[in-house]
Amino acid sequence: MKKLLLAGLLCVPLWFTGCATVDQGPPILLTGDILVDGPNAIAHGHARDKVLWEYRTAVGAMRAGNYGLAKGYLDDALTAIGGVYGKDATAKEARSYFHGEEKKKFIGEPYERVMAYYYRGILYWMDGEPDNARACFKSAQIEDSSAEQQYNSDYILLDYLDGLATVKQSGDGSDALNRVIKLRSPYPKPPAYDPRANVLFFLEFGQGPTKYATGSYQEELRFRVTPSRVKSAVVRVEDQALALGPYDDLDFQATTRGGRVMDHVLANKAVFKTTTDIVGTAAIASGAILAATDHSDAGLGIGLGLVAAGVVSKIISSATTPAADTRSWDNLPHYLSFAALRLAPGQHTATVEFRDPTGYTLPNLTKTITLNVPADPHDVVVYVSDRSQTPQTR
Amino acid sequence: MKSMINRFGGYLMVAATAALFTGCASTGVHNPSGVPVTEMRPDERGFVAGTGVESQDLVAVTDKMARGILSIPLVQQAQGTPRIVLDPVKNETRFPINKDIFLTRIRAQLNEKAAGKVLFLARDRMAALEKERDLKISGQVTSSADPHVVEFKGADFFLTGTLQGLTTRTSAGTSDYILYAFQLIDARTSDIIWESSAEIKKQGLEDAAYR
Repeated sequence: MKKLLLAGLLCVPLWFTGCATVDQGPPILLTGDILVDGPNAIAHGHARDKVLWEYRTAVGAMRAGNYGLAKGYLDDALTAIGGVYGKDATAKEARSYFHGEEKKKFIGEPYERVMAYYYRGILYWMDGEPDNARACFKSAQIEDSSAEQQYNSDYILLDYLDGLATVKQSGDGSDALNRVIKLRSPYPKPPAYDPRANVLFFLEFGQGPTKYATGSYQEELRFRVTPSRVKSAVVRVEDQALALGPYDDLDFQATTRGGRVMDHVLANKAVFKTTTDIVGTAAIASGAILAATDHSDAGLGIGLGLVAAGVVSKIISSATTPAADTRSWDNLPHYLSFAALRLAPGQHTATVEFRDPTGYTLPNLTKTITLNVPADPHDVVVYVSDRSQTPQTR
Repeated sequence: MKSMINRFGGYLMVAATAALFTGCASTGVHNPSGVPVTEMRPDERGFVAGTGVESQDLVAVTDKMARGILSIPLVQQAQGTPRIVLDPVKNETRFPINKDIFLTRIRAQLNEKAAGKVLFLARDRMAALEKERDLKISGQVTSSADPHVVEFKGADFFLTGTLQGLTTRTSAGTSDYILYAFQLIDARTSDIIWESSAEIKKQGLEDAAYR
């Protein structure tokens, strides 16, 4: 009988070790270069992290001027965002007591999904498709509609660019501009549309939000915001100089997201974990006392039964995983800005300077862009981050 | 006492063994053997679906438009064969799409089924056509007719369309309505001689883990 008991007890650790081996993903050797790590992780990493790496790699590719690569990754990621309706096995797993939230297929928090659409919109506009760019900006604003009531769909640039794209297609962008005017923002609003502006600068700077978890079991999702060293930018093209502050702040957007349904799920998991732990401790203690003090067969049996139930309860508690998902699109910017200039056809040289909060130009961040402005009415679209490679040609 | 311990030990082993299997089943890889390629008709809803424009919408909408164009009296009773030029569709929805795909399918449907009742002009190939004509004019290639005579046809009609959408997103889910409107415009008078529309509404709710 002792052998039987031993075999039974051996099965318990097996339960955990067996599952742990299934759960371990292939190790990804990180080099620190997103254009190496990203494709490697997408090809060989966890399927549930694929979209996260596509996000990171796409923005890395854009900063390196490899827009074709960025398009492919963003298209795949946006397909995942758009197809998330209905049953999802990984999401169901993430909601279960015994799996962490990070088990679900990553599509990101709303501010991350918004940025995926925003970047794709820029790339569509670069390709001379302002209507598809507008579609992306509209979808991005919809992604933000689940934020707290007063903060939902409150990206200034998304509405502004929606209207500008409409104006560029001979439409009436006044509705979108009126929405921009009505939105609350701590920053100055962008100017009225210039339909003849033919060079569009999409600027971004600073380090965007990342996630961490707090609470007894790391069940509370929090956003870490880092003060930005860059607070504004200046675009210079020949005799024109345009000082630009932020229009949108991703830290603000992340922290005004409001409560998630998943927060309730994780809170319930945390309560379950605490309760099963307390019940387990109480059962083991009372069972041990009963078995030691009651010398009758029945008393010993009940006592051992209580100890066993307590052990099972403790095991269940230990296996319960209420931890929040802290996977972050960690190379997002802090601030978004935009400028539209009117330039004559031909070649121009533009510089973009980034400034600290005191207005001092940070010399090592200045970018140089050679612009080839066509005679036809197509816009030249320039994407510049404080982390972009320089020089670049558009 | 011994029998009780025996029984208890048995229960523990059974419970632990059951836990071994149930635990692993819940953490295992989904579809470990993959899902074989499933061929589907383009007009049926697949198991991968969103609330945006999908192939079944494209097929339904373009079929309806092609039938509509063929039943226009001006096309049915035309003296000559009407020439149509495709003008890109305007996308005003929140879904980025390949706009040409709608007009391409309408054109293909009409060319397949209308048997020359209408003809489409290949304006998207004008650069190649002009290059060929110039080669003929310069005598670098042979010509079966006088290449100096302009034979590129002008359009009788423009076929174009607009996609517009309305989106609602609440805690109950996302709802997307898309209005597909297509028009045939008289190139000479700017009259809209035919217009037809199709409406598709889709709703969905993502798993709570994403809300």
